[in-house]
Amino acid sequence: MAGGGELGGGQKQRRGKAGKRKAKKRLGFRLDMTPLVDITFLLLTFFMLTTSMITPQTMEMSVPPEIDTPIEVKQSELLTIRIRQDGMVFYNMGVDAPQRFAAPSKAKDGSFDYKKTLAEIKKVVVDQNVELKNRCIVVLKAEGEAPYGLVVQVLDELNAAEPDIIDRLKREHGINERKRKFTVSPYQAKDAEELMSL
Amino acid sequence: MSKIKKKRLGFVLDMTPLVDITFLLLTFFMFTAKFKSDAENQQKFEIKRPQTQSDTAKIPEKDLVMIKIAVDTVAKDTAFYLSMVAEQDIVELRSRMKEGGFPEVDEKSVVYKIKDTVWLGKAIFYCRDANRNAVFAIDADRRLKYRWVEQAVNELRKKKATTFNFVTEKKTGGL
Repeated sequence: MAGGGELGGGQKQRRGKAGKRKAKKRLGFRLDMTPLVDITFLLLTFFMLTTSMITPQTMEMSVPPEIDTPIEVKQSELLTIRIRQDGMVFYNMGVDAPQRFAAPSKAKDGSFDYKKTLAEIKKVVVDQNVELKNRCIVVLKAEGEAPYGLVVQVLDELNAAEPDIIDRLKREHGINERKRKFTVSPYQAKDAEELMSL
Repeated sequence: MSKIKKKRLGFVLDMTPLVDITFLLLTFFMFTAKFKSDAENQQKFEIKRPQTQSDTAKIPEKDLVMIKIAVDTVAKDTAFYLSMVAEQDIVELRSRMKEGGFPEVDEKSVVYKIKDTVWLGKAIFYCRDANRNAVFAIDADRRLKYRWVEQAVNELRKKKATTFNFVTEKKTGGL
């Protein structure tokens, strides 16, 4: 660059000077952010570790108010699902003999896996509802000793069956309405007797 | 000396984007963090909620009455734990429980440990009296016997609270 014109060289020098000055000013304003970042990271880790992202959810339930007059229903339209204390689930239409759903498989940690049972329940409920064209009444009875978790899982499965029922009713029978859902009723001594030998 | 100085200068990093992102995340977590309430602080148990499929309904925070059913880890007894969420409701319920003669009520009571259905029924009545729009939620451990939940449901039904919620947990992958 030494071969360059006087004018050019001078310009360059000036430019260089100006740049230097600017750089100096900037350097003066540089803050050491390390402590700030340290604290921020500390707080960030704290909040990240203490926050639980899984929020509890709810399943809404409606039970009929206490009524004195019993409502009569046809036996043939009644699908009873019963949960025995040992976690076995049975179903029967009307006065038919109860049939057992698939038994739960035991997981390594000793807990039961009801995946298969629940899938079968859903299938039966959907089939019966579609076959009887909205007139099927599903009654769920759970023994007092049955695990609460299973009862909720069965209820959840009944809820999950609803879209399928609506869909199949529309496709197979052209029915756009969905009436009659399911109900929960107390487990009586008679139920225990019926399921005893199964 | 001069050599070392030069090296250090070469390692100066622009931390601005890092700080920006960190602050962003920090603010996010700070705002989403929810801290334990008094009621949760007093409890001596942990609840394993029943697992359900994706059910997106969230718990209504306002007017909520929580009925927890769990086994105490110290005393090893199962009981109903009833509490209200809103500050005003807590005060109202406390005075009603006191008037009603519930044992173990003091100035700081938030959760009421109830062992029999008679008191559960009364407490449910007081809750509805304290807040007309009370919404009930049953939060029970999935390993519990269904009988406990059935009792709670029956009491709710008797007090004409026919719509209520079961607190559940979203099912995760394998299960």
